[in-house]
Amino acid sequence: MVQFLVKRFIGLLFVVIGVTFITFIMGLNAPGDPVTILLGQHFNQAQYVALKHVYGLDLPWYTQYWNYLRNLFTFNFGLSYEYKNRAVVDILAGGLPITLELGMWGLLLTFVIGIPLGILSALKANTWIDTTNMTVMLVLYAIPVFIMAVLAQVFLVWLDKVTGGQNGIMWPVSGWGSAWQYGLTDIQFKLAPVIVFALGGVAYYARLTRTTMLEVLRQDYVRTARAKGLRERVVVYRHALRNAMIPLITVIGIAIGFLVTGAFFIENIFNIPGIANITVTSVFNRDYPVIQATTVLLAVAVVLANLLSDILYTIVDPRIKVE
Amino acid sequence: MDIRKDQGREYAQGAMMSPNPEPEMITMDEAVGIPMPGGPTKRPVSPLQESLGRLRRDTRAMISIGVLAFLVLVALIGPSIYTHIGAPFVSSVTNQSIGPQDYHGYTHEELENQDQGPSAMYWLGTDNLGRDELARLMQGLLVSLFVAVFVEIFDITLGLLVGVLAGYYGGIIDQFLARFTDLMLAFPGLLLIILVAGIFGPSADTAFAHIPILGANGNARLLLVGIVIAVTAWPLMARVVRGQTLQLKEQQFVEAARTSGTTNTRIIMRHIIPNLFSVVIIVATLDISVTIISEAGISVLGLGVQPPGSSIGLMISEAQNYISTHPWEELLPCIALIIIVLCFSFIGDGVRDAFDPRSKD
Repeated sequence: MVQFLVKRFIGLLFVVIGVTFITFIMGLNAPGDPVTILLGQHFNQAQYVALKHVYGLDLPWYTQYWNYLRNLFTFNFGLSYEYKNRAVVDILAGGLPITLELGMWGLLLTFVIGIPLGILSALKANTWIDTTNMTVMLVLYAIPVFIMAVLAQVFLVWLDKVTGGQNGIMWPVSGWGSAWQYGLTDIQFKLAPVIVFALGGVAYYARLTRTTMLEVLRQDYVRTARAKGLRERVVVYRHALRNAMIPLITVIGIAIGFLVTGAFFIENIFNIPGIANITVTSVFNRDYPVIQATTVLLAVAVVLANLLSDILYTIVDPRIKVE
Repeated sequence: MDIRKDQGREYAQGAMMSPNPEPEMITMDEAVGIPMPGGPTKRPVSPLQESLGRLRRDTRAMISIGVLAFLVLVALIGPSIYTHIGAPFVSSVTNQSIGPQDYHGYTHEELENQDQGPSAMYWLGTDNLGRDELARLMQGLLVSLFVAVFVEIFDITLGLLVGVLAGYYGGIIDQFLARFTDLMLAFPGLLLIILVAGIFGPSADTAFAHIPILGANGNARLLLVGIVIAVTAWPLMARVVRGQTLQLKEQQFVEAARTSGTTNTRIIMRHIIPNLFSVVIIVATLDISVTIISEAGISVLGLGVQPPGSSIGLMISEAQNYISTHPWEELLPCIALIIIVLCFSFIGDGVRDAFDPRSKD
């Protein structure tokens, strides 16, 4: 186990170095000189050189990259280009809780709705319940998240109109409220984005749960359990579900990958000031230090999620030994 | 984007198909190829013909193919027909007579005809700048088609080349592929596309501006976006091809070819690549859909096609401010994209069942 963890950790380091290198080289070769953009139109040579030194841009590229990597380990992402003298960490600190909150709810809904729907479909296999459920899930899985988000907005706006315009329910279609607060207005803000955010994962999990449950229900030990005269509830939840859970846990990395991709669109369309939105804004502003920081953050999140699913795999299924 | 990863894992986790999928049962029209004693003999059917036959019997997939073929036709020849239909009208702003070749163009802004519903003059209405929605939609379809074809050429060529070489020879190219795919799987594909499109987009605008059709009307970034999507797409193709090649090269017919002195190049060209046809077509179908969604998504974020150009994603993002007053303008591109995506998903299912019958549960 320790050996496996060490190996995976080295793999993680490799990915982080790869990701930082790609973003660093991109920033270095990007068009436009950030220092001239920062200084505006009127500046003299001394100011230019001084500011270039503050950002460490007068050093050769490998020294810059080395400094950057070294600072990374102390969570020092440098200074923002766009907002002078503001540390990148400051900017991220505003968005991180919001994105984490969005992600947590998205993941929770994925499990809490997706898995029961899959179990339902497996137990009622090949009935109209199963067919309808799976068709809906196929459609939800196929339709991109930004279409869902936009459709949700159109629906909410339409709902406002039918309930009487200004006197209607006035459900907000953009914004987030306060992070980790759950007053009535906050819930109004958060409900639609969170649901849309989770839909793709829900559909994925529902389909996967149905497949694995059907497979497990065909096994001999389930037949034995039924033959012993156990109640159906016990057979399903104690004998079948536990074994069906194994493949579900291993794909948690994929579910998190879904969420990272979805976050960009959800935060953009619902105008939520999270990490993904900050990334896109920084791309427009050419604020490379911020871009580099968010990229590393998201890549590390995905790698950690994959690592987590590997570890969970060995915990839920003791027969599997990590190589 | 993650559909791709997910499928990649399914393949990587050993759901590998047999190189020559045999049908589970032979139907009458497939059995006619088997020579009967005394009876009339027909030419035997090749595995490809068998697969196509199975695909032809899949009604849902065939309808989807029909719908997509119609959309491709609309994108290719629709604009040239549409610009010749309609009566000229006199604009009250300039007092000039304007013909359909102008107001049915996708960049023409007709200020007195903003936000109109469908009518005889504008078949699908106009947007907030008075541009014809049908013309913009057709241009958007053309953009999707271009990106899909462009990425697929790149994807199949590079994926097949690297995948076969890595699978057949192993060694350093295999190591490179493994490391590269690891990196690409960890680095969210969308993030890379956003970064490259955002940072180098403005340079692409100027660099490609002189290319006749591609450089005009804000389409210049398409090429850039296409290249990045292709870069994120090919590792999966390569990985699947590699896995399949690993299996194929242990097969007896390859061994036989090698024993009889066939060169490696010839084995790869004559024995390995033809047998990869079904995996490649399955992964490619999946990738096309992912590609179209990626391009639309990038344009939704405002990093893809620039105004006054048109793309389904750009139409979605432009109409976003008017959903309370003119939801139709938002729904139209959404419906178009949903139709495309569902068609591809049905075709993907059909193609997988037809070319790899064992994958059916």
